[in-house]
Amino acid sequence: MSERGATRRIRAIAWREFRYTALTKGFLIGAIILPGIMFAAIPLLPMLMSSKSAPLIGRVVVIDPTNSLAQSLEMSLPMSAQKSLENQDNSSISEPFKVELTVENISDTARVEEFRAQLKESSLRALIIVTPSADGPAAELLVPSGASPRHTTILESALREAVTRARVTQANENYDRLSKLMGRSAIETRRVSPEGNESKENAQLRMLVPAGFMFLLWIAVFTSGNYLLTSTIEEKSSRVMEVLLSAASPIELLTGKLVGQAGVAGVMLLMYGGVGLAGLGAAAMLDVVPLQHLLWMLVWFPLAYFTVAAIMVSIGSAVSDLREAQSLIGPAMLALTIPLMLWLPIVESPNGMLATISSFVPPAAPFVMILRLTAANEPVPMWQALLAVFVNVLTVAAILWSGARIFRVGVLMQGKPPSPMELLRWIKAR
Amino acid sequence: MKNIVIQLANVNKRFGALQAVRNVSFEIQRGQVCGFLGPNGAGKSTTIRMVMSILLPDSGSITVLGGSALDAKDRIGYLPEERGVYRKMRVADFLRFIAKLKGISRNDADSRIRAWLERVELPGVSQKRCEELSKGMQQKLQFIASVLHEPPLLILDEPFSGLDPVNRRLLSSVVRQLKESGTTILFSTHQMEQAEDLCDQVLLIHKGEKVLDETMGAIHGRFDPRTILAEPANSIDVAAAALEHVSNIESFRWSMEQKAFEIRVTEGVDPQLAMSNVMRATPLRRVELQRATLDDVFVKLVGGSVVEIETADKTGKPQVNHV
Repeated sequence: MSERGATRRIRAIAWREFRYTALTKGFLIGAIILPGIMFAAIPLLPMLMSSKSAPLIGRVVVIDPTNSLAQSLEMSLPMSAQKSLENQDNSSISEPFKVELTVENISDTARVEEFRAQLKESSLRALIIVTPSADGPAAELLVPSGASPRHTTILESALREAVTRARVTQANENYDRLSKLMGRSAIETRRVSPEGNESKENAQLRMLVPAGFMFLLWIAVFTSGNYLLTSTIEEKSSRVMEVLLSAASPIELLTGKLVGQAGVAGVMLLMYGGVGLAGLGAAAMLDVVPLQHLLWMLVWFPLAYFTVAAIMVSIGSAVSDLREAQSLIGPAMLALTIPLMLWLPIVESPNGMLATISSFVPPAAPFVMILRLTAANEPVPMWQALLAVFVNVLTVAAILWSGARIFRVGVLMQGKPPSPMELLRWIKAR
Repeated sequence: MKNIVIQLANVNKRFGALQAVRNVSFEIQRGQVCGFLGPNGAGKSTTIRMVMSILLPDSGSITVLGGSALDAKDRIGYLPEERGVYRKMRVADFLRFIAKLKGISRNDADSRIRAWLERVELPGVSQKRCEELSKGMQQKLQFIASVLHEPPLLILDEPFSGLDPVNRRLLSSVVRQLKESGTTILFSTHQMEQAEDLCDQVLLIHKGEKVLDETMGAIHGRFDPRTILAEPANSIDVAAAALEHVSNIESFRWSMEQKAFEIRVTEGVDPQLAMSNVMRATPLRRVELQRATLDDVFVKLVGGSVVEIETADKTGKPQVNHV
């Protein structure tokens, strides 16, 4: 067979596969425009999700036979309200709202029912019942049934602080001084690079980076793998397969399809990865993704893609519809979802037993390795990284070889789907 | 050897317990039209798929255009029995894709697509999606896909099935034109008239084995004519009563189509003798010895295993017709 002819046919098949997947309205809307809109909407989310709370205005009655809590509460309320406003600023979700409460101290405990009735009518914002004890006052907060959760949180916080203040005062200590001493101390962590450059440490983000890499790889590879499965099934069910096989050999057809969908996966990887990097760049946090991580991604992307793609295309060639494909896909999917379930322990301990062993177990290995290699806390020994690449190259070769043999027999088969034993026979067939 | 386009030697193919093709050998010469006949399940499509290298034989050798079909895919046009198109693709895009696979440049492909769509009476469909076309139109589209690259060898598996008589005639005339331009054509069919009309050579396969491989002329010579057509000069009833007593004839029936009696000559009897007997028995306006049709040959060779329907002739005499 002339090599030029084979190359031309593979190119034609690959381009058709790419064009009718990546340049369709469905792909543009589902895989590009919607995520693009979602990304663009992130800065708008606070505005879109903002909720205007009603002001907290009214009376709070404190029934306190010791007369020790009302004053503390009056002092704590503005502080709690202020804290609430600060939290609101941080979350940027809700608009700040006004807090104006008058605290009435009632020492006559017999009037509890009178104020309970007022609470039921919602003419009180809260009723606080204080019980004296040897360690200081204990308090019970009652709010009307229609009280907003945010208002209740402010009242709870203020009451908690007032009780503490009253206890500290009862112990003859200065609450403001102690509070200042016990306050949360600000510690700034900076990471020093081998070149001596310092950058602000963001431990949580560093935990998320490996997961980001793994999910990116997973989504790109599985989306295109799924397209490969459905396009192969469509070619079989619409009987266009024999027309294709009259123009190209099964290997050319398989190669063209794999190359075309590799382009689709590449587009997704570049698009989502690019958006992620742009976001990190905008937040001046690009240092959490060193160049080395990107290079490892380039190594593991083809290995992950060809592993998944060969499995999908073999299944697509062996069945006649998607329903039949589900039963064959099940075991493969189970193995491939392992990294999704175990990403946290693997990232926390990238050189642990679980991570090390699963790095060599196909077909999940590429996803586990990208998790390990991009985890910042412990570098993976280079011999392990290289051995994993070698093992996965062999795995990909074996899966592609078996996939090609299943494809060759399966594409012309119609009727009931093959059993695993039949698939083995197809692999061994001449 | 140079003139042999397809050559099969002792080809066998088995699917599990079923021997689909058994020791089949044949040759097709350049420029010939070969009809590949046989009942359903005889092994025609399997043989064609092996010729196309879509399936590999278990044993035996196949040479197409001097080598393997894998090496000659760009020079072979193939219309498979199971038609298929990309449903969502536009007609022109589908044909361009096939043209690209066959090594035709974009410009050439566009002009050829336009010309072929006109030729098979499908103008104005190029921008339609394939799924919008009727079954017959899709079949014509697939036919175009098989001839777009002007192959020297064309293999058509049941090209006329599912077509209405007008389109059957249209496609038949296109095949005839391709034959005249020197294209070697192998086509399988159940339409005996079409095969008789188009073929130089006939291959008949039955239960995976070749049972006939002859030119049309040789077939006509080999299979004796055993039917006499006799148009009576007087009334049909009188003639029928006279034919009841004629010796050396097996059966007779009135053919509305021929406006004559079709009289079967007894096996082993000289048809000329039977014809003389008929002429002596009743006055005739016309009498002739009917030539053996491909249909007759087909029935004779594979008839034992096909369905038989018992009918009655005009005189009420039971008669067996093979269908």
